[in-house]
Amino acid sequence: MNIQEYISCGILESYVLGVATPEEKAEFEKMCAAYPELSAARDAFERKLEEHALHNAISPSGEVKDKIFSEIEIAGERSHFDTLGTELYPNAKAAYDVAESETPIINIGWRYLAVASVILLIVSIGANLYFFRKYKESTNQYNALVSSQTQMVGNYKLIQSKLQEKENTIFMMKDTGMRVIKMLGKNVPTSPFPSSLATVYWDKRTKDVFIMANAMPLPGTDKQYQLWAIVNGQPVDAGVFDVNDPHIRLRMKTIRNAQAFAVTLEKKGGSSKPNMQAMYVMGKV
Amino acid sequence: MPASLLYSEQQLITLLKSRESKAFGYLYDHYSAALLGIIMQILKDEPVANDVLQEVFISIWKKIESYDAAKGRLFTWMLNIARNASIDMLRSKAYQNEKKNQGLEGNVDLNIDRQVSALNVDNIGLRKVLEKLKKDYRILLELAYFKGYTHEEIAEIESIPLGTVKTRIRNALIQLRQELK
Repeated sequence: MNIQEYISCGILESYVLGVATPEEKAEFEKMCAAYPELSAARDAFERKLEEHALHNAISPSGEVKDKIFSEIEIAGERSHFDTLGTELYPNAKAAYDVAESETPIINIGWRYLAVASVILLIVSIGANLYFFRKYKESTNQYNALVSSQTQMVGNYKLIQSKLQEKENTIFMMKDTGMRVIKMLGKNVPTSPFPSSLATVYWDKRTKDVFIMANAMPLPGTDKQYQLWAIVNGQPVDAGVFDVNDPHIRLRMKTIRNAQAFAVTLEKKGGSSKPNMQAMYVMGKV
Repeated sequence: MPASLLYSEQQLITLLKSRESKAFGYLYDHYSAALLGIIMQILKDEPVANDVLQEVFISIWKKIESYDAAKGRLFTWMLNIARNASIDMLRSKAYQNEKKNQGLEGNVDLNIDRQVSALNVDNIGLRKVLEKLKKDYRILLELAYFKGYTHEEIAEIESIPLGTVKTRIRNALIQLRQELK
C-alpha cells in the first residue's frame, strides 16, 4: 500500500481520536515507526485538534483546581512520609516491639476499643460535616422558596385589586342611576388635542362623580389634568386625575349640581382657577 | 497561543514525570478549560463535567509515567483520558439514574434520532463541526466518539454490516478533518 493512501484513508483520525480498533491501533503504531511522513501527518492533525479544543474551551469552576491540588498534595505527603519513615527509622519496628513487650499491662480489649472509638470519631466528624453542608444547602433553598412565595403573594394581591377596580368600573357603567356626560375635545374650539375624550359618571342619588380618561394625551410629569364642574357659569374644582389606565374609573369630588363639566391641564396638584388656554374637553349635562 | 507558552512540550513532560507540581499547575491552567470543553460535549452537565475534570487531572498526575511521546502529543493523550472518563461517567449507573430522574430515558440506544436532533442545538467544539456532516456520518460519530461504542456494537445498534460501519466512520473522519481546516 502506498503510504500517501494510508495517510488519507481515515485511519490516522481514528487512531488520534481513540475510535480505532485494537488491530488498527497496533498496525498504525508500526507504520508510524516506519514512515516519518505518517507520524508528521499525525502530529499535524493532533496540533489542529489541540488548537480547536483550545478555541472551544470552557472555564472550569474555581474550586476544581484546589480540590485537585489538595488531593495530590495529600497523596504526595503520604508517600513522602512513608519513605522518610523507613529511611530515618529503619529500626522503628524493632523499637516498637521492645516497647510492647515491656508494657504488657494494657488489656488488648481496651486497645481495640480505643481504635474503634477513634474510627467512630472520624466517621462522626465526617458525617457531621456532610450533614452540616446538607443543612446549609436546604436552608438556602428554603430561603429562596420563601422569597419567591412572598413575591407571588404580592403579585396576586396586585392583580386582585386591579380586577376589583375593573369590576367596579363595569358595574358603574351598567348602573342606570348614573348620568353619563361625554366630554369631547371638539366641544372646545381651542382644545390642544381635539380628538380627546373623557367621560363623567355622575351618580343622581349620591352626587358622587367618577371620571374615565378614555382618550387623553399623556401629560408631562410636572402636569396633571383637573376636572371642573361649571355651576352657573363659574368653574368649581372637582379634583385632579392621572391617565394611566383608560378603562378604570377614578373617584372625583362630590358635586351637588352643575350644568357642564370640563377638563384642563394644570400644574401637578391642580390650580384654584382653570387655565382656559389648556382646556382639553367639555361636555354639557 | 504559543506566545504564552512557558515550557516547551518536551520540558513540560520531563518536569511532569519528575512530579514537579509547578509544571502540573501550568498544565492545569493551560489545558483544563480545553479539556472541560471536550468533557462537556459528552456529558452536557456542568457540575458533573467539573467532577470528571477533577478526576481526569488526578489520573493524569498518577499516570504521567505511562505517557509515551512516540505515540502522540501530550494533549492527545490527555484528551483521550478525558474522553474515556466522560464516557465511563455517561455509562455509570448513578449518572443514568440521575438522568432518568430528570425525565430523560436511560437507554441511549433507543434514542439515536433524538440525540442527533439534540446535537443540532449544541454549538461547541467538535460537535459544531459534526453538524456540517451528513446525518449518517453524524450518527456514527456520535455513537463512536461521543458514546464510546465499539464498531461491533454500532453495527448491531444500527443494523448495518461491520464493514460498512468501518468504512463510514473512516469517511466521516476524513470529512471531519477537512472541516477542521
